[in-house]
Amino acid sequence: MSKLVLALTTSSLDKLTSAGVILSGAAAEDMEVDVFVLVNAGHAFIKGKAENLTGMSDTTQTSEEFQKALDNLSTPNWTEFFEMAKDMTQVNIYICSLAGKIAGGDNKEDYIDIVDDIVGIGEYLECAAEADVNLCL
Amino acid sequence: MTTEELKAITPDKVVDSRGTACPGPLLAVKQAIADVDSGEIMQVLSSDAGTKRDIPRWCTKQGHDYLGDFEEAGFFTLYLKKN
Repeated sequence: MSKLVLALTTSSLDKLTSAGVILSGAAAEDMEVDVFVLVNAGHAFIKGKAENLTGMSDTTQTSEEFQKALDNLSTPNWTEFFEMAKDMTQVNIYICSLAGKIAGGDNKEDYIDIVDDIVGIGEYLECAAEADVNLCL
Repeated sequence: MTTEELKAITPDKVVDSRGTACPGPLLAVKQAIADVDSGEIMQVLSSDAGTKRDIPRWCTKQGHDYLGDFEEAGFFTLYLKKN
């Protein structure tokens, strides 16, 4: 089983959706996936925030326009993409402890259910060294 | 296979993913392949142009036979055989 490591550094809706699309593709190909949530990406995984994100890294569209476009294409939202990928293959989602502190989540219980653990950066580097594909969003 | 040969196939499973965008059709095929026995044929209907490249490549990686496709009435019809 080949392995994808994805470092996620932002809580913007468009980047999270991109991550979800990539995760889904990896799941379709039975890849093992480790997602490392770094710095500002931690906010997206905090309970109560995941469903209410409005930030966009790209200003071509507002978040409302972006969401409407996704809805028109019957495309899942980012959390649904992540959940589908977890159902289909081995997907681990790790919160970097710094990202956790920035987002105000020190404990695993502070995060939505798809989060597997809170880890240090050494875990990311070790997994990245072993991966077949490394991506950073 | 020619379009005529493909049209003559009676599929064992039909996956209609028209109206969904990438990666929807690929995910639908991935999920549906579990319902197909080895040697059986799946027909995939998709209105997403990316499917025409995604599914053949996925078949190669997963070890299934991609039989071909044709475009008609504004959507693609693709055939694969599970190995």
